[in-house]
Amino acid sequence: MKAITEPDSARGTPSGERQRSRRNRQWLRQWGRTVRPWLWLSVATGTLSGLATLAQMGLMAWLVHGVIVLDRPLSELHWPLLALVVAILLRSVGQGLQGISGARAAMAVRQGVRQALMARWSQQGPVHLAGQSPAVLAGEWVEQVEALEGYYARFQPQLWLSLILPLAVLALVFYLDWLAALFLLAAAPLIPLFMALVGMGAERLNRQHFTSVTRLAGHFLDRVRGLTTLQLFGQDRSAVKGVARASEHYRRLNMRTLRVAFLSSAVLEFFASVAIAVVAIYVGFGLLGYIQLGPAGELTLFSGLFVLLLAPEFFQPLRTLSQHYHDRAAALGAADHLLDRLQPSVSEPAPATDHRAPLPDRGPEDAVTVTDLVVRYPGRGRVFDPVSFQLPWGQSLVLTGPSGCGKSSLLHVLAGFYPAAEGRVSLFGAPPGRVPVAWMNQRPFLIQGTWADNLRLVQPRATEAAMEEALARAGLAQLLAAQPEGLDTPVGEGGQGLSGGQAHRLALARVFLAPVPLMLLDEPTAGLDPFTRNDVIEALKALPGQGITLIMASHQPELVAMADHQLWLGQNRQAPAPSLAGEAPHG
Amino acid sequence: MGELRPWLGLLMSRRWRLLAGGLLMAATLLSGVGLLTLSGWFITATGVTALAWAAGLAASLEVYVPGGGIRFFALTRTVSRYLERLYNHDTVLRLLSDLRVQMFRSLSQLDGLTQARYQASQWLNRLTRDIDTLDNLYLRLLAPPLVALLGTLLMALGMALFLPGPAVLLLIWLLLVLLLVTVVMALWGRRLSRTQVTRADRLRVRAIEQLQGLAELQAWQALEAHQQQLLALERGQSSDRCRLEGRGAVGQALVVAGVQGALVLVLVMTLSAYQQGLISAPVLVMLPLGVMALAEAYSALPGAFVHWGSSEAAAARLNEQGALAGRLATPGQPETPAPMAALAWRQAGFSHDTQRLFRGLNLTLAPGEKLAIVGPSGAGKSTLAALAARLVEPDQGQVCWGGVPLWALDTAAWRSQTAVLTQNAHLFNDTVAANLRVADPDASDQALWQALEKVALAQWLSGLELGLDTPVGDFGRQLSGGEGRRLALARLYLRNPALVILDEPLTGLDGATARHVVRHLDEFLSQRSALLLGHEVAALPAADRVLLLTREGALTEWAGEAG
Repeated sequence: MKAITEPDSARGTPSGERQRSRRNRQWLRQWGRTVRPWLWLSVATGTLSGLATLAQMGLMAWLVHGVIVLDRPLSELHWPLLALVVAILLRSVGQGLQGISGARAAMAVRQGVRQALMARWSQQGPVHLAGQSPAVLAGEWVEQVEALEGYYARFQPQLWLSLILPLAVLALVFYLDWLAALFLLAAAPLIPLFMALVGMGAERLNRQHFTSVTRLAGHFLDRVRGLTTLQLFGQDRSAVKGVARASEHYRRLNMRTLRVAFLSSAVLEFFASVAIAVVAIYVGFGLLGYIQLGPAGELTLFSGLFVLLLAPEFFQPLRTLSQHYHDRAAALGAADHLLDRLQPSVSEPAPATDHRAPLPDRGPEDAVTVTDLVVRYPGRGRVFDPVSFQLPWGQSLVLTGPSGCGKSSLLHVLAGFYPAAEGRVSLFGAPPGRVPVAWMNQRPFLIQGTWADNLRLVQPRATEAAMEEALARAGLAQLLAAQPEGLDTPVGEGGQGLSGGQAHRLALARVFLAPVPLMLLDEPTAGLDPFTRNDVIEALKALPGQGITLIMASHQPELVAMADHQLWLGQNRQAPAPSLAGEAPHG
Repeated sequence: MGELRPWLGLLMSRRWRLLAGGLLMAATLLSGVGLLTLSGWFITATGVTALAWAAGLAASLEVYVPGGGIRFFALTRTVSRYLERLYNHDTVLRLLSDLRVQMFRSLSQLDGLTQARYQASQWLNRLTRDIDTLDNLYLRLLAPPLVALLGTLLMALGMALFLPGPAVLLLIWLLLVLLLVTVVMALWGRRLSRTQVTRADRLRVRAIEQLQGLAELQAWQALEAHQQQLLALERGQSSDRCRLEGRGAVGQALVVAGVQGALVLVLVMTLSAYQQGLISAPVLVMLPLGVMALAEAYSALPGAFVHWGSSEAAAARLNEQGALAGRLATPGQPETPAPMAALAWRQAGFSHDTQRLFRGLNLTLAPGEKLAIVGPSGAGKSTLAALAARLVEPDQGQVCWGGVPLWALDTAAWRSQTAVLTQNAHLFNDTVAANLRVADPDASDQALWQALEKVALAQWLSGLELGLDTPVGDFGRQLSGGEGRRLALARLYLRNPALVILDEPLTGLDGATARHVVRHLDEFLSQRSALLLGHEVAALPAADRVLLLTREGALTEWAGEAG
């Protein structure tokens, strides 16, 4: 069980850590390649906006120079003024387009990843997923995938811009005054160094942060679902304290992340501020003629002001990048989780095939053939001794034995959720997972929606009449008649609003609605009162005669009596067992 | 806006922290403005001085004070930025922590029925996502526009020292831009961002559904259809989100055009003022650069305000939560329940939604009596138990212990005297030990093993590698149905109640296990009162008296097996 929920054995060791983070980065880049046109558009428009900004600064410096130094009247300067307005418009439009195309890239990735995750769930199957909280998985599917947004919408394009634009600025400043360019250059290499140092810490912390957020969500949902239980044991107050502790823990974790994350932007802020200060003082003293070194003597108000205005622009793309750095860290943290979900873990059985076969014609005489079947669970070992039986078409078999003897496991194998460790299983001549099978659990699966929604789950095009008939056969005719909204009567999550028996029946009604050759029932009458149970058993009795083969796990005497055959799975099974007990005594 | 008012009120309980944070933000902005304006002023002043020197004029310029000022602003900008961000995020997280706890506390005070009516996964959303969304309130929606406003006013004030008329023009222009990127953006993105939260909610609910029903869907080969549905829903949500981000990007473009437009405006005005001799050259440069530095305060606004609707929607949902009915009344002076007494339903009535389950119900459970009540599902057996456990209040009559109505008793004391196994007792996604210790946090390992032995789980569990630390999984899914049920039952043995209520204690247990469990239950119940609920007598421990609760809500003598 541990191995299923914690596939991160590589975590903790430094080399494993590095390997993981490399794997995560690669995964993010792979997805980036699928949306390359949008990313390039974002970079191109961002570059346009950046270059327009440089033009704006130059024009402003030129206007100031023209008026102050050259004493030109403002009326002669309308062309540069017009150019200034155009530059600002280009800058604005470029900025807008950069954002829009980034958002498109993020959307495409989001959809792709969600699809991949969903495919993975079905690949893993219900048995393997049972150890994981659906709320946590669904939360990841919604939130963690959304955490990828910033990486593609903002960080990736900005990464390129923070390379292109500073170089453009540097070239320009170099042309204007190479000494000033050297000041900028001196600060520049330090920046990636600091960013890398800070970024590495931020990434690790961010991963912790994401784990804690997801765990917190699971913790909450679990406590809320169990509120009644907590109340009954007088633990509701201490649970409030538990929630407070969890929240406080979350705050501390968060602050640890932020303290480091903000440090990266502070470093840049520092360099940007210092560069402006140094350039201003250099240009000022240069203009005064205090500096005789290199090009300082040739500084004019135009070149001096231009250089000053360019100095913040040199750092601006990097500052923006550092603002988006948490996007990267968030995406890497999300990638770490999502990749764990997407990659098969060691303990996982081979994925069940999901090739859909056509409904079998009434071909082979034996519908279900099981030969020397053995099931093993990691950590629990062999569930039962080898099992063999043959069940002809349209007959019913009941599996009995003490709880925990593997009745459910056998049904899981037959449904194709879990592979057989040894032996062979054939359903209508095909391996499990090829033919549609009706499955009913101890907890009837009901979705939020109407009765009709629940029925249409297995038969999307079912008519109202068919649904009403199925409900009647499941013993719900009376209840349906009492509902003013009829088939549109809502059902809450997990069947809220229905009694236990009614929820079972609603789920059972699907069996009567969808054409399936085999039905697997796991404790179908658990929790039903004698009245309802008798109804359900009556309904189930109608099934074998209709060519539907039935296998159920139960120790309900009525069901045992009802079945054509019985198979005892308990410990004291004589080996080799006369697997089928033959006709069970009726009555 | 009205939806946000209660939350603004809550923010105000930390107003000094918020004020300090806002001042730090303003300090950062003003340092930036100071740095750039002073630098521009300094360069131009030196340039003009150099020109004067070149023309042979005697001019002098103090260079050390401006130089020191520039260095000072460079430092304060860095430090105040770092402190501001750290401090403000800490404030917000403190607020969020307060909020979460408050919400959970209010949830835990709701009666069982109201709790059941709300779906757990939506509750979770209320508790985490909605509250998280509200951090936008201060850090993204409240403080930044105020700081931008403050910066704008100071900028206009500073400009008014030199050029009062143009300063007013600048003020009007910038206020219009501010309005555009806050209010107009909020309105433009309102519909899309409002539905974002509910759509994400729907996605999550459907995804949980698919995961919980994976077995049924996969076996039935209906999974693909459900997947397609979910993906279609996802595409809708995702493209709407993309549109919203797009609007944010347009807002970003508007900010650039608006603020840089103001810069051009100021530049033209100062250039002409200079030529008219109204201002000096350094001031001519200083003022436009001030506007340029101000742009920083505006740049984050459209991106934040386009998401205004999501904060509003989150606040609306949380408000709704606070207004939920169905709270259990707390007596002013609670009475201590008698150690052992008769439990009596007196003229008790209860209705669920529009359906009346029973009315005028009279029933007495004598001290130490074992009373079994059987009947079909939906007749109200569980409600009878919920009334006795005081999970819900009767809407007519009362339920009394030793003649005192339950509502007058100290709830905690009453809980400690009762032990209840409900039909769907919850197993927490934790270890076996943690699930047992819900009943008694101080129970020793030995006590846990004893309790497990009484429900025939000890042998099975001791065979597992992790023993008591074996995780039970979500909903106890790592256990079989019977194992989970017995684990829930084992909790009761860790308590010492006067009244035991068992709702279908033996469901899902096979003969041998059921016999083992019943033997220990009979022993446990011998000195206590017990209310045993089930569908048939055979599935209950030994009872002194058996009654039938019909679908009509009437209690009659039990005549024998149904059917």
